[in-house]
Amino acid sequence: MTPRFILTAERVRNGFAALFVLGFFAYLFGPLIIMGVTAFNSSAFPRMSPFECFTVEWFDVLANDAKLVEGLRNSLFIGVGVVLLAVPLGLSGALMLTQVKERVRPWYYTIVISPILVPGVVLGISTLLFWDRIGTMFGASRDSIFYDGFFLTIIGQATFISAYTMLVFISRLQRFDVSQEEAALDLGATHVQTFRKILLPFLKPAILSAAVLAFLASFENYNTTVFTIVSESTLTTFLAGKVRHGINPSISALAVIIVVITLLGAALHEVLKRREAAAEKETARIAAGELARRRRVKPFALEPAVLLIALVFVAGLGSAYFAGTIGVEECKAQVKAEKIRQAQERTRQREAKAMFQNAPAASEAAGQQIQSTDKSERAGVSQFQGIFDVGNLKDQAGADDGGDGAAQQSPLGTENFNPIFAPQNLSPPIDSSGDNRNDNRSDGDNRNDNRGGDQ
Amino acid sequence: MFAYWQNFFRKHGAALSVFLLASVGFWIFMMILLPQAFMLDFSLRANVPPPKWGSDAHHYTAEHYRYMLYGSAQSVDSYNFVDLSVFARTIVAAIFVTLIDLALCYPVAYYLAHAATGGWRRLMVLSLIVPFWVNELLRAFAFKIMFGGNGIINNALLWLGVIDQPYDFIRNSVALYSGLSYAYILLMIFPIYNAVESLDRNQIEAARDLGSPWWRIHKRVVIPHAKPGITSGCTMVFMLTAGALAAPQILGGPSSLWFTQIIYQAFNQAGNWARGSAYAIILLVVCILFVLLMMRVFKVKLGEIAR
Repeated sequence: MTPRFILTAERVRNGFAALFVLGFFAYLFGPLIIMGVTAFNSSAFPRMSPFECFTVEWFDVLANDAKLVEGLRNSLFIGVGVVLLAVPLGLSGALMLTQVKERVRPWYYTIVISPILVPGVVLGISTLLFWDRIGTMFGASRDSIFYDGFFLTIIGQATFISAYTMLVFISRLQRFDVSQEEAALDLGATHVQTFRKILLPFLKPAILSAAVLAFLASFENYNTTVFTIVSESTLTTFLAGKVRHGINPSISALAVIIVVITLLGAALHEVLKRREAAAEKETARIAAGELARRRRVKPFALEPAVLLIALVFVAGLGSAYFAGTIGVEECKAQVKAEKIRQAQERTRQREAKAMFQNAPAASEAAGQQIQSTDKSERAGVSQFQGIFDVGNLKDQAGADDGGDGAAQQSPLGTENFNPIFAPQNLSPPIDSSGDNRNDNRSDGDNRNDNRGGDQ
Repeated sequence: MFAYWQNFFRKHGAALSVFLLASVGFWIFMMILLPQAFMLDFSLRANVPPPKWGSDAHHYTAEHYRYMLYGSAQSVDSYNFVDLSVFARTIVAAIFVTLIDLALCYPVAYYLAHAATGGWRRLMVLSLIVPFWVNELLRAFAFKIMFGGNGIINNALLWLGVIDQPYDFIRNSVALYSGLSYAYILLMIFPIYNAVESLDRNQIEAARDLGSPWWRIHKRVVIPHAKPGITSGCTMVFMLTAGALAAPQILGGPSSLWFTQIIYQAFNQAGNWARGSAYAIILLVVCILFVLLMMRVFKVKLGEIAR
C-alpha cells in the first residue's frame, strides 16, 4: 500500500521554499533569456514580442563593428597585461603574509586587502592622478607611458585584482606542507631550486585559476577603466557608450556569445574536475593495494562528455545559422506586407470616419503633414515610435524598419500621440480637437505606407 | 630588526627575497597607499588647469569640500541640496538594495546548503555563477529592455489587466534598484552559503528534537553561525552598490543621479578634477566608516569580510 500524501506544515513550508528558489533562479536567468531571444529577433529594437523573424543578422552587425572589434582587442591586451602583473603580485603578497611578523600581520593584511573594499571609481581616479603627478615630476611628455591609457588601466585594475589572486594563493598555501620544503633544503637544494621544484608545482593549479580570475575580472571591469583608459577604448567603455546612446540587438548578440562561451567553459570545467576526482580515487586505490597499476587515461578531447558538448555546440551553431539565414528575407517581406496591410486597413477606417465627420479639413491638413515629416525624417520616426510603443502594440513594428535611432523616444511624440491609440480613445472624438488628432493619425499611417513602398 | 631581515634573506635566498620585497613594496606603495595619498592631496588644492599644477596657484584649499556642503566656495548661507540629496539617496538606496539582497539570498543559501542534495546542488551552484560571467553592462542592458515602455514586464502587466497605461519603471527607479540588486547578488549568496554550509546539520536536528519551531532554529542556531558570511555579503554588496557606475548610467532615470555619476561628471564633463577627487575621498571615507561599523556591530574581523 502506498502511503497517503498528508499535507503537513512541514510540507507546505518545503513547497514554499522550493517555489522561492525557483523564483530566484527565474530572476537570475530571466535577463539572459530575454537577451537571447532579442538577439535573434529581426526587429530593430531589442524586444521579445512581437517576435518577427528568426535571424542571425545581428551577429553580422556585431562582427562588422570596427570600434567594437578594436575595443575587444584592447580589452584582451589589457587582460593579458593584468594577468602578467597581478599573478606575481598576488603570489608574493601571499608568500609575504606567511613571513611577516605576528605583530605586523594584521596591518599588512588590512593594507593589501583594502583595494577589494575601495570603490572602483576611487581606484581609477587615484591611479590616474598619481601617475600624472609622477609624470610631471620627471618632466615626461604627454605621450609618455605615464599618460598612456593601457599602462594606467593595467596598473589601476591590477591594484585590486592582485588582492583577488592573493586570496586564491592564500587558500592554496594553507594546505602546503612546510616539511617538504625543509626536506628539500636539508637534502642540499638551493632556495631557488626549492621554490621552483617544490613550491611552484604545488601552486600550479592556484596560478592557473588566479590567472583565469584575473583575466575575467579585468575583462569585466568598467568602474576603474572608465577613468584610467583616457583616450583609448575597451570593450566595456565602448559598450557603455553604445548602451547609453540608443540600443540595438547586436548588443544582445554579444551577450549571447558571452553566455555560450561561459556555459562551454563551465561544462568543460566540470568534466575536468570529474577526471581529477577519478584520478585521485585511483591513486587512493593503488595506495590501498586494490589496483595493480594506473589505467591508461583517455586524452581529454576523447572524453565522451567533451565529445557530447562539442556535438551539441556545433549542432546548435549550425541550426541557428541555417534557421537564421535561410528564408529570413521572405519572412521579413511577409511581416512588412502584413504591416502595410494593417496600416492601410486603419487608414481606410479612419478616412471613412473622417469623411463622416468633416472630411475637407482633415485631408488638407494631412497633406501638409506628410510633406513636413518627410523633411524631418529622423525626428518623425522617433515620434511614431513613441506612439506605437505605448498604445498600439500590434503596429509598433511598422516604425522599426526606420532605424535604430527610434529607440530613444521623444517626449513630445509620446505626449501628442499617445492618447490616440490608447484603448479608451479608440472611438472617434467628437469635440473640436478631433480634427487635429485625425490629422496626426493619418500622417502616421502615411509614413508607414511610404516606408513600405520604398523598400 | 636587522636579524629578522638577515633571517629572511637566508631563508629565501637573495633573488627571491629581492623579488618578494620589490613586488610587494611596489604594490603597497605605488599602487595602494601613495595614489590614495596623492588623491587626498589633490582634492585639497585649488582647481587650476594642468600646466599650473605644482605652481603657486595650485595652493591648498578646502573649497571643494565646502562646495559639497554649501554649493559655493565662499558663502555658507544655503546648503548644496543637489549634491547632498544625491549623496544621501545613494547611501540610503545602497542600504535598501543590500537588505533586498539579504532577504533574497538567505533563504536560497540555506536551501542550497541544507535542503538540496547531490547533483542538484552542484548544478544550482554552477548556474548561480553563469549569469555573473556576463558583463555588468550587458546585465543592465537586459534590465533596460525588460523594463522599457513596451518591455516584457509592461506587456505582461497590460495583458493581465493590472495596469491600463504602461508604467515608467525607468523614471521611477524600479529598473535601477532591480538591476543593482541583481548585479551584486552573487557576492551576497556565496559568503552566506559557505557559512551556512559549514554548520553541522546535527545542531539543527538537535534544536528540532528539543521542540524549537523553525524560526527559532534560524534565530538561535543558523543565523549566529552564519553571521560572518552575512556581514561579509552585506558589506560587499553595500560597497559595490554605493560605488556602482554602470548600472546607474544605463538604468537611472533622467532626474535621478548616483553619487558616482556626479564624480564622473566632475572629471569628464566639468573638467574639475580637484572637485572630483574631493568627492571620491568623501565616498571612500563613507565606505571605510561603513566597514568599521559592520566590524564593530557584528564583531567580525576584516579577514572574515574580504575573502
